[in-house]
Amino acid sequence: MGIFDNILMGFQIALSWQNLLFCLIGTTYGTLIGVLPGIGPVVGVAILIPVTFGLNATTAIITMAGVYYGAMYGGSTTSILINVPGESASVVTCLDGYALARKGRAAPALGMAALASYFAGTLAVVLLTFIAPPLSGFALSFGPPEYFALAFMGLTLVTSLAGESMVKGLMSGVFGLIVACVGVDAISGEERFTFGFLSLLDGAGFIGVAVGLFAVAEVFCNLEESMEQVFLHAKFTLRSLFPNRQDWKDSLLPITRSSFMAFFLGNLPGAGATIASFLAYAMEKKLSKHPEKFGTGVMEGVAAPEAANNAAAGGSMVPLLALGIPSSATSAVLLGALMVHGLKPGPLLFQTSPEFVWGLIASMYIANIMLLILNLPLVGFWASLLRMPYKILMPLIVTISAVGVFTTDNNVFDMWVMFVFGVIGYLMRKLKFPAAPVVLALVLGPMVERTLRQSLTISHGDITIFFTRPISAVLIAIALISVFAPLLRGVMDWRKKVVEIS
Amino acid sequence: MRRADQVTGIVMLVFSLAVMEGARRMPPSGTFGPGAGFLPFWLGVAMAILSIALLINATRGPVQVSEASPFPRGHAIVAILKTAGALAAFILLLETLGFLLSIALLTAFLLRIVERMGWPTTVTVAIANAAGLYVVFQMLLGVSLPKNILGF
Repeated sequence: MGIFDNILMGFQIALSWQNLLFCLIGTTYGTLIGVLPGIGPVVGVAILIPVTFGLNATTAIITMAGVYYGAMYGGSTTSILINVPGESASVVTCLDGYALARKGRAAPALGMAALASYFAGTLAVVLLTFIAPPLSGFALSFGPPEYFALAFMGLTLVTSLAGESMVKGLMSGVFGLIVACVGVDAISGEERFTFGFLSLLDGAGFIGVAVGLFAVAEVFCNLEESMEQVFLHAKFTLRSLFPNRQDWKDSLLPITRSSFMAFFLGNLPGAGATIASFLAYAMEKKLSKHPEKFGTGVMEGVAAPEAANNAAAGGSMVPLLALGIPSSATSAVLLGALMVHGLKPGPLLFQTSPEFVWGLIASMYIANIMLLILNLPLVGFWASLLRMPYKILMPLIVTISAVGVFTTDNNVFDMWVMFVFGVIGYLMRKLKFPAAPVVLALVLGPMVERTLRQSLTISHGDITIFFTRPISAVLIAIALISVFAPLLRGVMDWRKKVVEIS
Repeated sequence: MRRADQVTGIVMLVFSLAVMEGARRMPPSGTFGPGAGFLPFWLGVAMAILSIALLINATRGPVQVSEASPFPRGHAIVAILKTAGALAAFILLLETLGFLLSIALLTAFLLRIVERMGWPTTVTVAIANAAGLYVVFQMLLGVSLPKNILGF
């Protein structure tokens, strides 16, 4: 069956009334998550895992992928109107978005954000459709050493790109792997670090950990600063939302460039939507004929990062579906959701569950159309939600998080996990340790351990097995370079200084 | 940040030693190949090395002009402790007080005591939130939420 037969089959699945309905629910809820500051896609998706447990796997993941996309669309509304990012991938959109709003051009800026998102999102799904299947075919020849190398590279890349200090990023990653060891060892059946708690036998439970690290910790951080917002009133008639001819002339090329750049960046483990949006903004500023105008309200300063965060979200689905390796915190939670629903992520996914994969891919085309409709004519509705003060939002975030975690297993213990990781997450933020590597390591941990031990069993304990097989050698090399390159750069700088002095 | 990094380094070094000791006590593999303690032990080693690196970086790095603690003081820290305490109390009492009552109380506490909202807003939002979550989780999703002795 060719790709076109497959995608046709996918549309048959995605267009069933149930999948359409849940896609709409997911994208609407995702837009809400994106619009509301203080709650992002990681938490939005994590809370949905228990909620969608009763649905079949395809419908459940379609809903959650819709949340991921929806958050990318919705985040820009908050950035443009109140200068507070709705989620982290919309931080740069604040710069020119809010400046445009102050000039009275909020409506076309919102329109441009939605249209750029739509273009980038759809382009990303098209590229995903054609790139993921051959990639998964290539990965079929992978054995345990290649898998270990792949997961190892994913972890080190995320770690080395996250945060300011390499040592702190690595500590976050190792900490996540240690947490992943908690529970019964899958190979020997031995109990590890359970301290006599029955509830820890099958691990710390990653929903509790993720919601604690991202939602509860965020609430604690926000309590420190007053979240007073200045709301800019703007009229949104459908006509006013469309950018004018000059806006298009300025933005068309930046949107296209940023989309392609961000899609491929999203393929790489570690470079999520946030980094892509920053890079797109920086790239456009560099290529622009009038870089000094960036930050004073130029349309391409909104279009480029908004295109980039959507393209990167789409791009991150490539390694997730083709290899079973998440590239960002949100896709790590999605991977966890896949496993909760009994799917086995990995290159075999395209063969064992074609209805799921193609149904999901087809639903992404539909989700982008839904989101364009949700975010263009209905943007006034989302904007009105922003009049709800954060003081009221905060208790809602706390209670929804707690209830969502509780309902995963109807277990009070999971809420304690959330509480403990909320405190840990708060301390990590204050001490500048990145949180994303913890979640990623927690999800990848079991696979890292299984493939590592299988490889060492095959080789009778000889560690060179990872370096004598070409694919794993290359992947391990990339991982090691990503860790040691900054160190080398430090040495080079130091040498240069020595040379200059002498 | 310097002092904070030093303390973190020492705490994580102790943590890594505990992980290594815990892993060492795990029984070796019954067959050939690495056993249950293999990965945790080496993760402990990695964490120990990184903790020492953090300690060295923090101690040798240049002293910053602003040596302020990264943690807030005064009003902000009180608000965080109140919120954390309320959440802990909620988790402890959920199965005794029942879902509706404990959610309403937690929401009300956060609004009134932490955020200092007026009573009318507090009561309205607390009731609406408890009812809304009950409808979504219990009625639409069919989760059986905890009830108190009185049956709600």
